[in-house]
Amino acid sequence: MTSNEFTRRDMLTVAAAGTGALAGGSFPMTPAAAAPAKEGPESMPTLMDLSLSVNGKEHRLSLDPRTTLLDALREHLHLTGTKKGCDHGQCGACTVHVDGRRVNSCLKLAVMAEGAEVTTIEGLGDPDRLHPMQQAFVEHDGYQCGYCTSGQIMSAVAMMKEPWGSDDADIREAMSGNICRCGAYQNILAAIRQVRHG
Amino acid sequence: MSPEPAAASPSRTAVGRETVRVDGPLKVSGGARYTADFHFPDMLYAVPVCATIASGTIAAIDAKAAGAMPGVRKIYTRDTIGKFYRVPASGGGIIDERRPPFEDDTIRYYGQYVALVVADTFEQATAAAHRVKTSYRAAAFDVSTALSPEETPKVKSRRGDPNAAFDAAAVKIDHVYNTPIETHSSIELHASVATFDGSHFTLYETTQAVGNFRDVLAQMLGVPKENVRVVTEYLGTGFGGKLWPWPQSLLAAAAARDLRQPVKLVMTRQMTFESAGHRPHTRQRVRLGATAEGKLVSLRHDYAYSRAPLSSYAENCGESSGFMYSTPNLSVSEAFATRNVGVPTSMRGPGAVPGLYALESAIDELAVALKMDPVALRLRNEPAIDESKNIPFSSRHLNECLATGAETFGWSRRTPAVGSMRENGAVLGWGMAACTWMAARWEAQVSVMFNDDGTLRVASGTQDIGTGTYTVLAQMAAELAGVDVGKIKVVIGDSSLPPGPISGGSMATASLVPAVAQATREAIRNLIAAARESDSHFANLPVDRLAFHEGRVHRTDQPPGEGRRFEEVLASARLGHVEGRGKSEGTFRNKNPTVSTHSFGAHFVEVAWQPEIARLRINRTVSVIDGGRIVNPLTARNQIEGAVTMGIGMALFEETHYDHRHGMPINSNLADYIMATHADTPPMEVIFLDYPDTHLNEMGVRGIGEIGLAGVAAAITNAVYHATGVRVRDLPVKIEDLLASSVA
Repeated sequence: MTSNEFTRRDMLTVAAAGTGALAGGSFPMTPAAAAPAKEGPESMPTLMDLSLSVNGKEHRLSLDPRTTLLDALREHLHLTGTKKGCDHGQCGACTVHVDGRRVNSCLKLAVMAEGAEVTTIEGLGDPDRLHPMQQAFVEHDGYQCGYCTSGQIMSAVAMMKEPWGSDDADIREAMSGNICRCGAYQNILAAIRQVRHG
Repeated sequence: MSPEPAAASPSRTAVGRETVRVDGPLKVSGGARYTADFHFPDMLYAVPVCATIASGTIAAIDAKAAGAMPGVRKIYTRDTIGKFYRVPASGGGIIDERRPPFEDDTIRYYGQYVALVVADTFEQATAAAHRVKTSYRAAAFDVSTALSPEETPKVKSRRGDPNAAFDAAAVKIDHVYNTPIETHSSIELHASVATFDGSHFTLYETTQAVGNFRDVLAQMLGVPKENVRVVTEYLGTGFGGKLWPWPQSLLAAAAARDLRQPVKLVMTRQMTFESAGHRPHTRQRVRLGATAEGKLVSLRHDYAYSRAPLSSYAENCGESSGFMYSTPNLSVSEAFATRNVGVPTSMRGPGAVPGLYALESAIDELAVALKMDPVALRLRNEPAIDESKNIPFSSRHLNECLATGAETFGWSRRTPAVGSMRENGAVLGWGMAACTWMAARWEAQVSVMFNDDGTLRVASGTQDIGTGTYTVLAQMAAELAGVDVGKIKVVIGDSSLPPGPISGGSMATASLVPAVAQATREAIRNLIAAARESDSHFANLPVDRLAFHEGRVHRTDQPPGEGRRFEEVLASARLGHVEGRGKSEGTFRNKNPTVSTHSFGAHFVEVAWQPEIARLRINRTVSVIDGGRIVNPLTARNQIEGAVTMGIGMALFEETHYDHRHGMPINSNLADYIMATHADTPPMEVIFLDYPDTHLNEMGVRGIGEIGLAGVAAAITNAVYHATGVRVRDLPVKIEDLLASSVA
């Protein structure tokens, strides 16, 4: 292992030590999450029990503490609408809402989401009952391959409640944390504009 | 010949109409299943261990500590992975990295796989992969960006006497243009979910070509094709980076075979920069000679590209140089230089995209030298035929693209002097470039079925990579059968379906048209035959007295409304479905074409340069595309806008850097490999000329996936020159390049 590799295990250590900067400074640390993990062979942490509230439903999970919120959603709860595009908080494909605010779920450990209300694309609407933003993305062709789309829509819904100006340039800036390599930005803009301005 | 039913003219309404994607509701609600979304009981997670040198050999791999870590099932190396085979040079399928993973101990690029960890969870496998200790005997390597030909350049095209004509020309341009290594960077990571039942593999893969993938994996695993099924229901796009298999798929399949459990392997973003292909670096010298009136007399295009050890990939930069403009004297030559980098592959518009950056830059430089308008210069050199093959074009409307684009953009208001246009305190630059991309067909097979539940099923082993194949297939079938788009069920993305076209070369749609048409007509014939046999309403009528319109079999002397719906016909015949099959022949690489089939277009760009803060922005773009008949203007416009967005990235941001100390692609993440974000893109206007090109198929469809990227970078650098006086010949444009501008 080279010295510049920073593993999630290191990150957990940092997070547990109370350095809030990594997660924006305001994640709830429940007693269960703050307790030191049981040590297994090779000093590896073993499983931790936690409860996650996702789309209004409570889930009891027993997770490796290194598990990100993204991987907990995808690999454990099988809510695969949330996508992994970089695992580094750089592309926005994994955007979900945590207590109503948009968050890159790959940058948050699952244990840090205990006690919070998590909303994923599946919780926003389904094909028979689409959220107005989902409907607008369909009407305006606000995607191509669809892979970044969940993140785009979760970001778009969250930005409506954020203090942005009313210009197109504000939407473009607010949405620049979500990369669409297909480049459907003109249509994403049109979809958001429709929901924003009616 | 049996008489044809009178059903040859179904209602023609679906093709050409703006149609929202049939898969849209699934895509916006998280229900579309991409490869890494598949999950199976007892599924294990695989994480590769990657070489940390760019050249040399493996001295030892110590996996003892890693193997003892919790959850680790097995760590594979060359000794334990099992046998892999190579793919034969012809007939076995296409793969760019022909060496199977772990085949020997030689390291040829940074990031080459040396071991594979399989564990119960992703976290356990990732942690253990970090603990595998590999020692190397490092060797010298070369990742330098100065390319010089390794062998005598190969002549690709030649006519007249280009050297003498150049020497004698009144006005000459002679410059070298460089494009860097670019990485596809689809947001979906390459992924494999491999299952093995003891004899058969089902591989959920990220591929633009399920059929080829099946063929290659069967070869490399040493099993018959029938024992491998490849599924790609949805692809988080590829841009060529997922055309052919990469080594991680074989590793996942081998682990599933050995452990008899499903194995999921998702590449990290870093790995995709190292071992899943890239557009190679190109260095292109373009020499143009012209008369004082702007008539081209000589065009020389000599290019070299980087390639990798064990790779024979060629970046065909001169693909369009021979036919783009009229000139009696021309030569195009190709060369390569080997670098210790991962194997390059096709990236959106391979060859033509870097090639047209160079050619369209040089044409702009010629216009400046001639003091001539760059649109007028192009119009003056419009060829009457494809002069590289001496055959006519099937349908070429480049002049109209140029004229329409100029009109829409307001080009007549352009003042040619550098830095002469201003607005809101910024210097404006107006630039333009022409573009082209090939049009052809792959071989394609399609099944069309009328079902007794009132749906029409269209099936083919092709893929939708985001271009809209699900939707255009539904539109085509709807048009041919006269059934609502909403009643069409499109089934693609599975190698067990009739072999469909690859999603590459902008050819899938054009390839599918003849097969869908033939299959639909055969299905209609079979439906009418069923109606005659089973329904007294139609009994004993000759087949040419029956027709099929608006979803109904009817007598030709009666309106469709008097007939029977197809599901009623099937019910009374006690049939679950009737099927028709269709096949398109391929035309790609036809040795003796009689016509030259290409799409054309023109891009116009306005940039804003603020010298006091060295800020460059794209203000607006206008693109006019002659891409044959447009099946779905909604998704088509999106294709071109997306390509222009990628072109903004190509012009201003994208470059994969290799560390000269270690040979590692150092900006191998999405924060440091910069692509155009939402805020980088301006308002865009897209116009389709919509001239059907019926040479390829009856609907006149060509293809539009790649042409939108060609020419964009040159249009931008030409605009940058107009604003700043700085001619950027090495992409991407860097702010430090523009600091040389004397425009204040």
